[in-house]
Amino acid sequence: MREVREVFFVDGVRTAFGKAGPKGQFWRTRADDMAVKAVRELLRRNPAIPPERIGDVVMAATAQVGDQGLTLGRDVALLAGIPETVPGFAVDRMCAGALTALTAAAGEIAFGAADVALAGGVEHMGHHPMGDDVDFNPRFVSERLIDESAAVMGRTAENLHDLFPAITRERADEYALVSQQRAAAAWENGVMRETVVPMAVFTDDGWKVAERDEFLRADTSLDGLAALKPAFRAGGRVTAGNSAGLTDGATAAFLAAEDTVDELGLEPRLRLVSYAYAGVEPHLMGIGPVPATKRALEQAGLTLDDIDLFELNEPFAVQVLTWCDELGISADDPRLNPYGGAIACGHPLAATGVRLVAQLAYGLRERGGRYGLTALCIGMGMGAAVLWENVQ
Amino acid sequence: MADTTFKLNRAGSIALVTIDNGEDYHVPTTLGRSAFGSAVAVLDELERGDWSAAVFTGKPFVFCVGADIDEFGSIEDPREGIRAGHELFARIRALPFPTVAAINGACLGGGLELALHCDARTIAANVRHVGFPEVALSIIPGWGGTQLLPRLVGPEAAARVIVLNPLRQNRLLKAEEAVELGIADRLLEPVEFVDESLAFAASLSIEREAPDWSELDTVVRKTRARIDDAVHEATRAPYVALDLIAGARDWTIEEGYAAEEQAMAELLVSPQARASAYAFTVVERRSKRPPNLPDATPRAVRKVGIVGAGLMATQLAALFLRRLEVPVVLRDLEQSRVDDALASIRSDVKPFLATIVDGGTGWEQFEGCDLVLEAVFEELDVKREVFAEVKKVAPDAILATNTSSLSVKAMGADVGLHFFNPVAVMPLVEIARTPQTTDEQLATAWDVVKKLKKRGVLVGDAPGFVVNRLLTRMTTVLMDAIENGNTVEEADEAILSLGMPMAPSVLREMVGPAVAQHVLETMHAAWPDRFPLTAAGGGTARTLEEIRQGALDAVADEVQHLLYEGVVADPADVDACLILGAGWPLFLGGAVTRAPALS
Repeated sequence: MREVREVFFVDGVRTAFGKAGPKGQFWRTRADDMAVKAVRELLRRNPAIPPERIGDVVMAATAQVGDQGLTLGRDVALLAGIPETVPGFAVDRMCAGALTALTAAAGEIAFGAADVALAGGVEHMGHHPMGDDVDFNPRFVSERLIDESAAVMGRTAENLHDLFPAITRERADEYALVSQQRAAAAWENGVMRETVVPMAVFTDDGWKVAERDEFLRADTSLDGLAALKPAFRAGGRVTAGNSAGLTDGATAAFLAAEDTVDELGLEPRLRLVSYAYAGVEPHLMGIGPVPATKRALEQAGLTLDDIDLFELNEPFAVQVLTWCDELGISADDPRLNPYGGAIACGHPLAATGVRLVAQLAYGLRERGGRYGLTALCIGMGMGAAVLWENVQ
Repeated sequence: MADTTFKLNRAGSIALVTIDNGEDYHVPTTLGRSAFGSAVAVLDELERGDWSAAVFTGKPFVFCVGADIDEFGSIEDPREGIRAGHELFARIRALPFPTVAAINGACLGGGLELALHCDARTIAANVRHVGFPEVALSIIPGWGGTQLLPRLVGPEAAARVIVLNPLRQNRLLKAEEAVELGIADRLLEPVEFVDESLAFAASLSIEREAPDWSELDTVVRKTRARIDDAVHEATRAPYVALDLIAGARDWTIEEGYAAEEQAMAELLVSPQARASAYAFTVVERRSKRPPNLPDATPRAVRKVGIVGAGLMATQLAALFLRRLEVPVVLRDLEQSRVDDALASIRSDVKPFLATIVDGGTGWEQFEGCDLVLEAVFEELDVKREVFAEVKKVAPDAILATNTSSLSVKAMGADVGLHFFNPVAVMPLVEIARTPQTTDEQLATAWDVVKKLKKRGVLVGDAPGFVVNRLLTRMTTVLMDAIENGNTVEEADEAILSLGMPMAPSVLREMVGPAVAQHVLETMHAAWPDRFPLTAAGGGTARTLEEIRQGALDAVADEVQHLLYEGVVADPADVDACLILGAGWPLFLGGAVTRAPALS
């Protein structure tokens, strides 16, 4: 009987996140170059891992064309100077791209196909607006396979407000305010210094250093949020203030097998406990993390009470609030997104997963605690949840 | 040309300055008046602000390629521009915090001088263009280059970079060489170059050894001898540059700046500098598509035939093989000659290419060729027969000839492709069209020449085309002098003293006296008066100056005939041919401006 190997999260790093579009800090920077920056910083911070020992490089991107094309994992590995003997590939599960890269790499390690794996993601939403090159199959609509609102994430968020009238615009705005405030505080403590690598970027104004997230608004107020117009529906509740903006960013992380951790003398941060992906109705994609969380807990034989920290993605405040209400967690629970979330830092689709895990590792170490959960909702009606154990 | 701006951003406590003209790398960043305006504003900010260090870098792939050559001719007071550069760069040098030039791409002339005014330099490993091209344009690096480079790397390396490299086809330095010479302090990978340059600046501590001036006299003597070999005192700039380098040993920087200013004020208005600026633009323009090129789609060339297996044919076959990477076949009368040619080609190309070159004595091997180029003996009947045979097996092939003087039309070729020896070195190809040359054939010839990485100039089907016609006309003056009592050495010296790269007698040996005589006979047949087969004796020996002037006058006269006949569409084409095909130095400025009716 073959033994499955334990998988450890060793380290994770990201670029600062930028506003998508011509005014964003990464507008004239290539997506693959951003991923290369994250990868090289990861290599630099982990000199105990010889690059030739990397068994696979798994990179996620939602739009796998242009500067995110060419089998990104391989492309980025070569551009980063990793030896050509190290293979790589690309994955796509939209918002859960990086998380899927992590679990796919974990599978390789557990099975013995790789001892160390590099996983991450990149999304340059400025260069690749969501759905830009997508050709929706007309059957989806003509056969009513999905509700047409499923294609626009903001509309799926409005659908959640419809389904759960208790989640009001006010609650969403209040949640957004807390996210901004927590993020502002987080930039003052060590979490960002530890997980964000500054990157020199060429812009119309010359070379600059991209070192801070561009969506941060430390001066956000409830009044200011309330004044914003709904973005997706007249009289709707989802605004630019209570949702994550379109973002450019890249992330990279190291996973390693337990025996390799010992062999190389690595200091791992987290042990992978369990993970689950779940499908839900596409036009209610934001509810996806609820069944995914339940299944991940069930696999591990744990309950929510056992979890000391939650890092949830925040594409929309309503999506987090849905998860809270459905699982019985208070929205102001200190265990939830202590460093703010995507509303404040942005959400570069396929890159986000590693940000959640890296911040979770930092949080569990700084705040103490044994188990942590990372979760995201995914376009076309899915959810992802990964359970980790603190080994620091 | 786009305006260059100095753009200042804050990277922590470090000032990050980008020299940018807002264009992509196809339009390199230059320093003109507008650049100085914005640089002064940035310097104000740097002097006022609380900075821990400053890093100067360029837009992607370009650091800065120096002064704007378009502004050369228009400077009324040359001293003004020189002084402005000294003042600006001196302010950079005086900044009270560490300064680093992060050389991320092409760094030439004034760009390199800016970098030298910083405390230290990083350079990206992929940079291939670092240097001072000024002397090649008969001026000097006048913004402190002649003063700071010897202080940094010593007189020998400075003389090499400032004086000798420009005289060697304007040789530039690669990043590694710049580091070896001590021009740059740190070789960095390109991938995170700006980030790492910032880190370098943040922890900068450079201890420099004083340069070694002990061998200055030897350096000056040796360098002067090499300048003499190259230009024979025909242009002053390299000598002046060498004097300035030597002066740097004893001068203060201010005295050095003043000496540069004085030298530049004199050189900028010299005929050599003006001629060089003109010639430089002429040569640059030749790399673009000429207006008289027909707008036809070039034919794809998938197989090339070379008729002949001699020295020229072998070089041509190797060039086509290497650049086009398509099958090449050679044909000669004797298999042993073909085998020798094949062996020489195969030993010199990538293994795969060695398998797609072949040859023999038959004509059938040319079947399927898209282009067949002949390089056989210069005999019209022989060439006629060659093309008649080729047509039988390759009726659709474009028939091209490498003849140096015979009529393209008369031999039955479609187009002339006249290369110069040595093929690998000389950039020019005269593309000779006849009235029968089709648009497609001409477009294909142009396209092929471009893919061979040569510079094509369209010429008419006239005896000797441009280069051989003018050089042969010049030779008639030399023959005349020799016939009248001058020695061959005197004739050589007269021509070398113009700054020509090679003595006429040496050139004649290289081309082969038989070939040269044959060209002369062809020219004589066309214009017996101007190209006599034997010079008239009975006179007296000339002075060198008389020979020199006579040679230039004869060329100028021939240029006029050539232009009236319409051999080239644009007078500047003549000068491009002389520079690219005959190696005329830039400071002679070609021959057109000397043609009496045109100047």
